[in-house]
Amino acid sequence: MDDQGCPRCKTTKYRNPSLKLMVNVCGHTLCENCVDMLFVRGSGNCVQCDTPLRKSNFRLQLFEDPAIDKEVEIRKRVLKIYNKRDFDFSSLREYNDYLEQVEEIVYNLTNNVDVERTKQIMEQYQRENRDVIQRNKVKLTREQEELEEILLLEQQDTEQRRLETLQEEQRQLQAKRKNKQALLDELERSQLPASILLAQHKDRAAQLETQIEKQKQSVKPTTIFSTGIPKGQTVSLAPVIRVEEVLYKYQPINVETYGPPLPELEQLDRLGYLNHVRTATPQDLAGGYTSELACHRALQDAFSGLFTSLV
Amino acid sequence: MKLNIEGLLVYFPYDYIYPEQYSYMLELKRTLDAKGHGVLEMPSGTGKTISLLSLIVAYQKAYPLEVTKLIYCSRTVPEIEKVVEELRKLMEFYTKETGEKNNFLALALSSRKNLCIHPEVSSLRFGKEVDGKCHSLTASYIRAQHHSNPSQPVCRFYEEFDAVGRQVPIPSGIYNLDDLKDFGRKKGWCPYYLARYSILHANIVVYSYHYLLDPKIADLVSKELAKKSVVVFDEAHNIDNVCIDSMSVNITRRTLDRCQTNVDTLQNTIQRIKETDAAKLREEYRRLVEGLKEANVARETDIYLSNPVLPDEVLQEAIPGSIRTAEHFVGFLKRFLEYLKARLRIHHVVQESSPQFLKDIYEKVCIDRKPLRFCAERLRSLLRTLEIADIADFSPITLISHFATLVSTYSKGFTIIIEPFEDKTPTIANPVLHFSCMDPSIAIKPVFERFQSVVITSGTLSPLDIYPRILDFRPVTMASFTMTLARTCLCPLIVGRGNDQVAMSSKFETREDFAVIRNYGNLLLEMSAIVPDGIVAFFTSYVYMENIVASWYEQGILENIQRNKLIFIETPDAAETSMALEKYQEACENGRGAILLSVARGKVSEGIDFVHHFGRAVIMFGVPYVYTQSRILKARLEYLRDQFQIRENDFLTFDAMRHAAQCVGRAIRGKTDYGLMIFADKRYARADKRGKLPRWIQEHISDGSLNLTIDETVQLSKHFLRQMAQPFRREDQLGLSLLTLEQLQSEEMLEKISQIAQQA
Repeated sequence: MDDQGCPRCKTTKYRNPSLKLMVNVCGHTLCENCVDMLFVRGSGNCVQCDTPLRKSNFRLQLFEDPAIDKEVEIRKRVLKIYNKRDFDFSSLREYNDYLEQVEEIVYNLTNNVDVERTKQIMEQYQRENRDVIQRNKVKLTREQEELEEILLLEQQDTEQRRLETLQEEQRQLQAKRKNKQALLDELERSQLPASILLAQHKDRAAQLETQIEKQKQSVKPTTIFSTGIPKGQTVSLAPVIRVEEVLYKYQPINVETYGPPLPELEQLDRLGYLNHVRTATPQDLAGGYTSELACHRALQDAFSGLFTSLV
Repeated sequence: MKLNIEGLLVYFPYDYIYPEQYSYMLELKRTLDAKGHGVLEMPSGTGKTISLLSLIVAYQKAYPLEVTKLIYCSRTVPEIEKVVEELRKLMEFYTKETGEKNNFLALALSSRKNLCIHPEVSSLRFGKEVDGKCHSLTASYIRAQHHSNPSQPVCRFYEEFDAVGRQVPIPSGIYNLDDLKDFGRKKGWCPYYLARYSILHANIVVYSYHYLLDPKIADLVSKELAKKSVVVFDEAHNIDNVCIDSMSVNITRRTLDRCQTNVDTLQNTIQRIKETDAAKLREEYRRLVEGLKEANVARETDIYLSNPVLPDEVLQEAIPGSIRTAEHFVGFLKRFLEYLKARLRIHHVVQESSPQFLKDIYEKVCIDRKPLRFCAERLRSLLRTLEIADIADFSPITLISHFATLVSTYSKGFTIIIEPFEDKTPTIANPVLHFSCMDPSIAIKPVFERFQSVVITSGTLSPLDIYPRILDFRPVTMASFTMTLARTCLCPLIVGRGNDQVAMSSKFETREDFAVIRNYGNLLLEMSAIVPDGIVAFFTSYVYMENIVASWYEQGILENIQRNKLIFIETPDAAETSMALEKYQEACENGRGAILLSVARGKVSEGIDFVHHFGRAVIMFGVPYVYTQSRILKARLEYLRDQFQIRENDFLTFDAMRHAAQCVGRAIRGKTDYGLMIFADKRYARADKRGKLPRWIQEHISDGSLNLTIDETVQLSKHFLRQMAQPFRREDQLGLSLLTLEQLQSEEMLEKISQIAQQA
């Protein structure tokens, strides 16, 4: 890490620990002094690749490899335009294809492959999807939202814990002070000998200690409702995922009975089957029972399996 | 003998049995009956292993449909070998008793380094090298190349195994590592792959913890083991640390530099392949577009051990588009790497949670959470496509990819700590990124969910209730067994003061105190005069030991001690330590007597037994608390408090006491053995410390052995040693701590046995 240096004046981090390296859009490094010297007029060409640069575009180099600085810069710019979220797509596959396309653009721009054409593609995309881009600008991706939520919870937790301990300490301090004050008061007023009062005080102090100890052991209050939802939860605003499936279609079941075909329910009366069955009383009919049902059921039982042969 | 354990016929290969073994088997059977998990503590040296094996084997024979397999996890290779030997004894007993041939298959599994028989590969020294070399001979594409180009070297043992080894199952029997190797040599098959393949239908598998707990390895080796297995973790007092280590990642500047070379190599290889064989990359790309189909197919049968690194719902999805092509992925890795480098360039300590890290990485280098999550999977696929033979070279980048996947998958239970320098050397910049797991239950959860019975057992598990809490499971049995003794062969003494009445303690404030150091020296000196043969002394840390030994030297104590016994010292270097250990044993053997100064949590305290005259006394100087200022520990304590309601102090004391118990337990390795256990710190006398020692030690601490001075200690020890030195025969033990079958069946004894187990 100490061998990083400015390519122009050859100063290294080892020799000058306060050396600040800067990077511009082309991904080449210069130290701060050189930048000040070369770009006095506000613009000039890169020493290494002759790209015209502006002084205001120089940034502090964050990473050891300046190419990464350049890539991140480009990536941020591209992602500002290509900001579709996964719920803008109907399937995961399309979303993945989209992601790959974005990656391709970034890759091309960083490695100077087909720069002009890629830029054209980007511009075209920007024109076509202007309103989507505008709309998504404020929205976070679902994962980021989740993260934000977790972070918020974490913050709340630590804050609450801090407050709790603080309050606890305050209470203990107050109790101790009160105890001491009580002793002084008693010594002033009471008729009892001082030794007894001191002993009493000692007792009380010990009691207080055990109480504090006990409180420490007690389990802290719950922070969730009985349903498992935490108190004061922020609800994620990401839309529900659309489920696209084929609608269910009913298909009548065809049962193989291995027997002669049954007469239809309506035909039973006409074919005379009902003559052999007890007719339903009015009470039965009220309950939804009809003689056809019983008869039909009995016929099913009788007919099914007649054709099966015993092996 | 043949035992009847609540209606189960158990063959026990010895003529005598300890009462606690019987009680242990009872509890174990109840655990298996309930198909639940158990936590069992039984003192070392009382035959835990054989009790476990004989009961579970009997259970397997009686109910072959209920329990199909026993998975026995141990820590080290010698321990694995020991288990297999016991098992062999048991099986011989079975054959002798029943007179029929056994069709049991039991085998040990270890790393390639211990199992390889390839003449070139097995001569390599380090495990990693062996793995790498083996991979370069057996990878699928290497073998494919061999087809077209016979000069490409392959491993003939693997080829042979692959050709015929899978059709014929390995004949039943008991195989330890050497047996496997012999069998492999005879057949010309690779023993490692044979063992890995055979564990699927073996009745008993003995291997190391990591094959089940480390998600990276478990996914390869253990994922197809059946649900109806019983898993036993032996010597499991450290299991939480094993779990945590398997999920934690440490990244130094050096790792990143080596990653950089890895990435460059990747880029070059991609460039080269693109020119010569672009179809291969296109094929991979097509597969990735289709989704992680491969993995899906393998997972469909579902009873696999789920991989905590990649949750199932992730595997259902396709790799995100942004890292689908090889170039884009390499670009992604580069960005990630540069980001990590930038993060390591700091001057003060940073601690943050995974969500904070993810947010920051998005802001700095525009990396989303999703591609990070797929990083490990994508890298594996790329390495396979590029046909890189030497995987070992790529371990740094694999490490980084694991880190990426873990950090984006878990938002809870992990913390990231970046330290610019080590605590010891605050002036030298040596930045480290610790990605540390704070929740041991994450790694072990799939094991508990998957297998019907998991038994955690060790000599020191007290207090029992803390393990279910930190590992987050619900045991059906929790029991602690004592050692029944014909004579009290252990003598725990708590020494709190020197002869000058100055309190002895390794507490931070008195650590540098001259009087304390002198008193510690006097204690060791006095003991060296009265204890025969070997004494083992444990200190709380290497630094503390160095300080004390230096001032003992100045005070002339060391010279006096050396008149009585030789002194050996454990060092962080493994080779040096094993040398010292060897010489220590030699000095004990020939009667010169020796003292071994070692460190709690060191190598000696964990794996080495000091039987009989090798350890007649163990002295524990101070309470072995962990280094409490470490940030990782602080984060973990905070997490334990918030998630499991375990207070910092409770956990620290628990951790210190389990290591203290582990240290002093080294001396007693059986009922005929005897030894002094001296706790040299006044804090041991407090109820909260003492209560966390295992029950079999606690029982023998009477009020008379608390807060002693050195003189009193010497008196008590002399008395104890004289008593113990009397001849001790088997007949003395019979009926009390050693039972024959008839004695076991008597009413009175069964009554007594029922009191041995203490349910927690």
